[in-house]
Amino acid sequence: MTERSAIHARDVRRVFESRKGFFFNELIRTEALRGVDLDVDHGEIFGLLGPNGAGKTTFTKILSTLLIPTSGSVEVLGLDVVRQAAELRPRIGLVLGGERGLYNRISARENLRYFADIYGVPVVHRDRRIQEVLDRVDLTEAADRRVEEFSRGMKQKLHLARGILHGPEILFLDEPTIGLDPKSARETRKLIRSLVADGVTIFLTTHYMFEAEELCQRIAVLSRGRIVARDTVAGLRKLVGGDRTIEVEAYGFDDGEIQRLNRLPGVSRVMSEEFGPRLRLTMRVRTDELSLEQVRAQLVNHPELAVRERRTSLEDVYLDLVEEEAS
Amino acid sequence: MTEPALRSSFTRTFWVNAIFAPRTSLGFMRLDFVLGTIFIIPLTQMTFFAFVASLSGTPGGVAFVVVGNAVATVTYSSVFSVCQTTDNEKEAGTMEHLLVSPANRFALYFGRGLIPVLASLATVAVAIVYAVTIFHVPFAGGSVGDLAVSITLTAFAMVGFGLLLGGVALYLRTSIILGNIFLFLGLLLSGANFPLSVLPLPLQYVGDLLPLTWGISAVRAALAGAPLGTMLTLWGYVALCGIVSIGLSMALWNTFERRALSTGSIARF
Amino acid sequence: MGASTYSRRVSLVAVLRLSVLTFLADPQWLVPSLIAPVIFGLVSYELFTGAGPWFVLYAILGAGMMSMWGQTLYGSGWATGQDRHLGTLEPTLTAPTPYVYVVLGRVIWNTVAGLFGGLIVFVVVAITYGHPIPLANPLEFLLMFVFVIVTLAAVGVVFAAAYVYTRYAGFVQNVGEFAFYIGTGCMFPVVLLPFWSNPISLVLPPTWALDALRYLAIPGYQGFGWGFWWDMVGAVGTTLLYLGIAASVFRRVERHVLEAGDLNDW
Repeated sequence: MTERSAIHARDVRRVFESRKGFFFNELIRTEALRGVDLDVDHGEIFGLLGPNGAGKTTFTKILSTLLIPTSGSVEVLGLDVVRQAAELRPRIGLVLGGERGLYNRISARENLRYFADIYGVPVVHRDRRIQEVLDRVDLTEAADRRVEEFSRGMKQKLHLARGILHGPEILFLDEPTIGLDPKSARETRKLIRSLVADGVTIFLTTHYMFEAEELCQRIAVLSRGRIVARDTVAGLRKLVGGDRTIEVEAYGFDDGEIQRLNRLPGVSRVMSEEFGPRLRLTMRVRTDELSLEQVRAQLVNHPELAVRERRTSLEDVYLDLVEEEAS
Repeated sequence: MTEPALRSSFTRTFWVNAIFAPRTSLGFMRLDFVLGTIFIIPLTQMTFFAFVASLSGTPGGVAFVVVGNAVATVTYSSVFSVCQTTDNEKEAGTMEHLLVSPANRFALYFGRGLIPVLASLATVAVAIVYAVTIFHVPFAGGSVGDLAVSITLTAFAMVGFGLLLGGVALYLRTSIILGNIFLFLGLLLSGANFPLSVLPLPLQYVGDLLPLTWGISAVRAALAGAPLGTMLTLWGYVALCGIVSIGLSMALWNTFERRALSTGSIARF
Repeated sequence: MGASTYSRRVSLVAVLRLSVLTFLADPQWLVPSLIAPVIFGLVSYELFTGAGPWFVLYAILGAGMMSMWGQTLYGSGWATGQDRHLGTLEPTLTAPTPYVYVVLGRVIWNTVAGLFGGLIVFVVVAITYGHPIPLANPLEFLLMFVFVIVTLAAVGVVFAAAYVYTRYAGFVQNVGEFAFYIGTGCMFPVVLLPFWSNPISLVLPPTWALDALRYLAIPGYQGFGWGFWWDMVGAVGTTLLYLGIAASVFRRVERHVLEAGDLNDW
C-alpha cells in the first residue's frame, strides 16, 4: 500500500452507547463523529479546533488506535488503525494530558523508565533518552520527585515527555498546553516546532486560537461531529467573508440601516450582538476599498456611534463557523 | 433587588448529603450493588463459615457461626461503604469543596450515613432470613420485635463506626486500608466465629470496643428469646458504641480536618 | 529515533519493577500481604484448634490460600483496575508491548508476594500453636505450595482480562470472594458441598492443587478418591486451560474495549 498522507480518514463515524437506570434498561446513543474526512500531510502541524463535545478527543483516540470507529476508514502512516494497530503503535505518540494517566506514587523518571521499556526504547539508549526528554520538557530538576507532588503543568510536561520518549513519527497532542503557565506554554510550542523540524508530523487539538494560528499550517474546525471547514488560516478567513472586520456600536439600529451596510462594496456578512442597551454590528469585509467613512455615512442618525476596524482573527473565524453550524 | 443571604440549614445539608452523596460515590442506587452486597455476600460468607464449623466442630456450633457472620456482613454496607466515601471524595477532588463550604459538619457527615444505615438494615435482615430458612437457626423462642430493635441499633452503630473511621481516613492517604482492617478484625475479635472468651484477655478488651461485638450478641440473644433485662443491657451497649463513635467521629473530623489542611493530605489519594 | 520494537524480557522486567515500586509506595499492600494473612491464620487456628493437629494444618492451608487470593488472584486483576483508575491503561495499551505481557509481569510479582502471605500464615499459627507445624513431606510440600499459587495466578490472569473488559470486574471479584473460597474447598473438603456444585469446583485449578497439597501434608488424607497424581493432572490441565483462555481472550477483550471506548472509565 502506498502512503498517500500521514493521516487519511474517510467517512469516519463513531456512536457511543450507554445504559442507565436501575435495571440498565435505558439505552442512550450519542453520535460523536458523523462522517469525518481528513488528510494530513507528512511533516506538517495540523490543528483540529472545535467546541467542547465536538468529537475532537474521540477522533484523536481513533487516530491513535485507542478507539475503533463505528464505520469509515482511517490510515495513519499508511497503516489501518484497526487492522494494523500493532505495527502502527511503535510509530505514533499520544499525549492526552490532564491529571490522570501517570503513576502518581513513583517518580517522573521511574514513570518514563517504565514506559520506555514497554514502548521498546533500546535498553542501551534508555537512560540517555529519558534524560534527553526530561531536559527537553524542562523537568530534569523534578525528575526524581513523586508525580503526586507535581503541579498540573508539570504533569502536562511529563505527559509530553512520555509522548516523545520512543521517537514517534507522528505525535497526537490533545490540548497540550492546557494548564501550563504562559512561559511553559511558550516552551511547549517551541518544542512542538522543534519536533516538526526533526521530521515529526503533529496532529494537535486545542482551544487556544492564537496557539493554532501560531503553530498550524492547516486547520480543521469540528462541530457536532462534522468537519465544517478545513484550510490554512488565510483560507479560513476568506471562507467566513474576509480579512477585515469592522465593528459598529450604538443604541440600536433599524433594519434599513443593517440592509444598507450589507449592500456596501466588499461586505460579505453582517452579524448583530446585544451588549446591554447597545447593539454591536460585526461586518466581515473582503476588500480594502471600503473605508470607515463610508460606513459612518450609512449611520448618520447615531451621534453616539463607535466604529473600529481590526484584522479578522482565527477566533472570529472559529466562532462564525461554529455558530453557523449550530444555527 | 438584593440577593438573599446564603443559607445552608441543618436539614437541607443533611438531606442533600443523605440522598446525593451515596448516589455519587457509593453506587447504592444500582442493581448490582443491591444484589451483591445485600443478597450474595451474606449468603456466601455464611455458607463458607457454616461448612468450616461443621468440619471443625467449633465450640458454638454451626448456628453460632451462621448468626455471627449474618451480622458481621453488615460491615460491607456500613463501615466499608461509609469509610470509602472519604476516598471517593478525595479522588474526585470534591473534598476541598466540602471543607471550604459553610455547611454544618454534623449534618454534612451524618447525612451521608442515612442510606448506609438503610442498606445495613436490609443486609442484616436478609442475612437473618437466610440463617433461619437456609441454615435452620432456631428462632422458636425469639421475638421479632427484639430482633428488629437489635438489627436497627447495630446498623446505626456500625455506620457511626464507619463515620469514625472515615474521620481518621481524612488524614490518611487512603481509607480503604482501614475499612479492610476492620472488616478482617470483625472476623477475629467480634465473636462472630468463636466466643471471645477463647481469645487472650487484651484481645477480648479490644473486641468489647467494637459495636459489631455487641450487635452480634444482641441478635443472638433476640433469636434465643433472652429476657428483656438482658436485651436492654445489650441494646444499651450497642447504642453506646454508636453514640460514642459518632461523637468521636465529629471530634476527629474537626481535628483531622485541621491537620489534613495543614499537611495537604486531602489532595492526595 | 526509528520505530521502536518491544522486547518481551525487557517488558516483563519493567512491569515487575513497576509492581515492586508501587507495592512499596502504597500502604494498601499491608492489607492483603500482612493483615489478612495474620487474621486468617488466627481465625482458622481458633476454629480448628479443638479438632487435632492435622486439622490445624488443614486450616492453615485454607488460610494460606485465602490470603493468597488477596495477593495473587485479586492483586493480578486489581492492578489492571488501577490502570483504569489512574488513566494509565490508555498509554499502556498504545504501547507496542501486548497488554498480556504487562499482566504476566504483574502475575509473577503477585505470585511471589502471595507466597510471602502464605508463609506469614504458617509463622503466625506456629507461634500461636507453640511449635512448628508438622509436615509429612516438607520439600515436596513447599514445591506444591508454589504450584498452588501458580494455579491461583492462572485464574488471576483471566480476572485481569475481565478488568480490562469492564470497570465492574472488581465488584464481581469482591462479591465472589467467599464463593471462590467455598468452590475451591480451601477450608473443607469439596465433597461436603452439594453434588451439583462439584463440577463448578472442578473447573477451578486451585481445587485440584489444594487437594494434592493436602495429600502431601496430611498423612492418611483422603480427599478426592482418585489420589495425588490425578489431582496433579487435574491441576495442570485446568491451569493450562485457564492460561489458554486468557491468551485467546485478551486480544478479543482489547478489541471489545476499543470498540466500546470505555477504557478511561473507572
